[in-house]
Amino acid sequence: MVRSLLTVSALELRTRVRDRTALIIAIIVPVAMATLFGVALGGDDPPLRATVGMVDLDGGEFPAGVRREVMASTELDGVLTLRDLPGRAQAQSALDAGDIGAAIIFPPGFSDSVGAGQGGKVDVLTSADTPLAGVVANAVVDRISSLVRARTLAVRASLDAGVPAGEVKEFVERNGAAGPALTLENDPMAGGRVDLSVYYGAGMAALFAFFVVGASFRSLLIERKQGTLDRMRAGPIHGWVPIAGKAVVGFALAMVSVCVTWASSVLIFGSTWGDPVAVFTLLLAHVLAATAITMLVASRARTDAQADGVIMVISFVAAFFGGSLVPLYTLPDLLQKIALFTPNAWTTTGLTGLAGSGAGLASVAVPIGVLCAIAAAAFGLAATGFRKGLLG
Amino acid sequence: MTDTLTCANLSKSYGGVVAVRDVGFTIAPGEAYGLLGPNGAGKTTTISMLVGLLKPDTGTVVVGGADLSADPMAAKAKIGYVPQEIALYPDLTGRENLRFFCRLFGLPRKAVRARVEEVLDLVGLADRADAKLDTYSGGMKRRINIGAALLHRPELLILDEPTVGVDPQSRKSILDGLERLVADGMALLYTSHYMEEVERVCDRIAIVDHGSIVAEGTRHELVALVGGADRIELTLDGDVDTALAKLRGLGGVTEAVRTAAGSVRLIAEGGRYLLPSVISTVDGIAAVTAVEVVEPDLEATFLHLTGNTLRD
Repeated sequence: MVRSLLTVSALELRTRVRDRTALIIAIIVPVAMATLFGVALGGDDPPLRATVGMVDLDGGEFPAGVRREVMASTELDGVLTLRDLPGRAQAQSALDAGDIGAAIIFPPGFSDSVGAGQGGKVDVLTSADTPLAGVVANAVVDRISSLVRARTLAVRASLDAGVPAGEVKEFVERNGAAGPALTLENDPMAGGRVDLSVYYGAGMAALFAFFVVGASFRSLLIERKQGTLDRMRAGPIHGWVPIAGKAVVGFALAMVSVCVTWASSVLIFGSTWGDPVAVFTLLLAHVLAATAITMLVASRARTDAQADGVIMVISFVAAFFGGSLVPLYTLPDLLQKIALFTPNAWTTTGLTGLAGSGAGLASVAVPIGVLCAIAAAAFGLAATGFRKGLLG
Repeated sequence: MTDTLTCANLSKSYGGVVAVRDVGFTIAPGEAYGLLGPNGAGKTTTISMLVGLLKPDTGTVVVGGADLSADPMAAKAKIGYVPQEIALYPDLTGRENLRFFCRLFGLPRKAVRARVEEVLDLVGLADRADAKLDTYSGGMKRRINIGAALLHRPELLILDEPTVGVDPQSRKSILDGLERLVADGMALLYTSHYMEEVERVCDRIAIVDHGSIVAEGTRHELVALVGGADRIELTLDGDVDTALAKLRGLGGVTEAVRTAAGSVRLIAEGGRYLLPSVISTVDGIAAVTAVEVVEPDLEATFLHLTGNTLRD
């Protein structure tokens, strides 16, 4: 069984390499497209219009400082809007409803705790639907964290030096030992920059994964037409071997394609896609979903030309609605909801979030889960289709 | 001796349309069995069920003692299938094609090279083995198409129209090769539209029509079924319809049909002796411009059993 599968896969790989579809569709075109987009648009952050919720349960100087700096920032004027919310539950509800893109929560006693040298923790609520707002909120909190660390260190040093506890706060502020006051620089996403070379690199990777894996299933239908599939099936092998052999090669080439697009983005533009393990896993899940969807098409198509056309349509529709061609946030709300049915939307959103936030694998668990669910459903339907058709 | 192939009660329907109905036959080792039938008679559906490409609605297929439905791998390992089309990869060389199917069908790695060379010699293509298949002539493609089915040394070779579109030299080479395989003990199931091929190669023949076997036996047994009647082919110039009506009433004529605009076929006992009566019957109605008397053969039997209606 394994030897037969490897034999089919080896021939498929050899054919794809010989006819250069592997090289052209899997590597040259996606890299060229991503590079063109990057050259034309890269380096500029996508236009942001983010609303960030602010829950001030502290009522102290830190939340006030954040609000003051955001309001005073000319760079964020008209781009970032702060909305005050009374509590965490309300912030979560607003986030779920799409009224805000992210939320910063200052817990009770935060300012006092920092003033006493005990540090403090600020929570950030983010949504996979609005990764860029999450990036901004995290960037703001990063600034607060730096300030908190400096203030905590200064207070502790002062206490160790014998300054009475009741006078530490005034002593630290008077001597500027806590570093500068909270200020927001003009680039709120430094350290988590999402430029268009990443955005469109991810988009092209997601789009071309469909084409690459679709070519393998198209060749399965060509084999049916030329009779080699029947010849294989009439031999002493399991009926699934030709299908699995093609799927393995399509999947592997698509993985090569997305990884090369990723690498080229990093090497050519110096872009950062985020945590490599998380990026790879997300791309793996996307390719799995693309494999299953194209397999489903092949299981129902009557000819290779029909399969080719359907895969082309699905690829572009998924790419458009899924944000591979046009940034998701530019689409109307209804289309953004429709986008959730495409693997591209989950992949693009996940990758954008990773690039902007520096978060790890856990932060893309939901997109990966959804992509795996799409793959499982499509594989199931494809299996039924093959049993009724090609293997019937 | 155990039969190499035993199939019984094979039936297959598509949405209420019966493609194959209750087909069954056996083939012994070293026996060549022919399936003859017009287009759409059910030959390809029958073959597809025999090689495991289609699941029959009813019936059993046993190949070399292995039941195809219970142990498909063992049964398929004993079958070599030669599809009607050239079911090989045009971008690969002949040798690469054979090597691929050797590996796919599980031949031991060390045996692959030797077996490929053996089969290339067998089909007479050793000198063109490293040329791409799309540079082969039609006959060469047909030969390597058969060769690919022999790689795993099957007990039963199933051929679906293996000589379509080849020149007489290639046809002769293919038929000679098949006869050698049968002489070596391989069982053969052969379908073709060429009656003379079936007559030459096959020991027994089944005539299939409308999904069922309508007659089975040796060539002589089948020819005897139509009673030894001769076939008279007439070409007439004149009132063909009136002439046909007159001929139908002529004593000794069992069947008279129009086969083309001015052509009439008669089935008659002792046709050559009846010829003067035939000519005098149509005299004054139509002029006889050509006449041919054909003694009973497989084609006559085939047409007698399956009729003359054109099949799509």
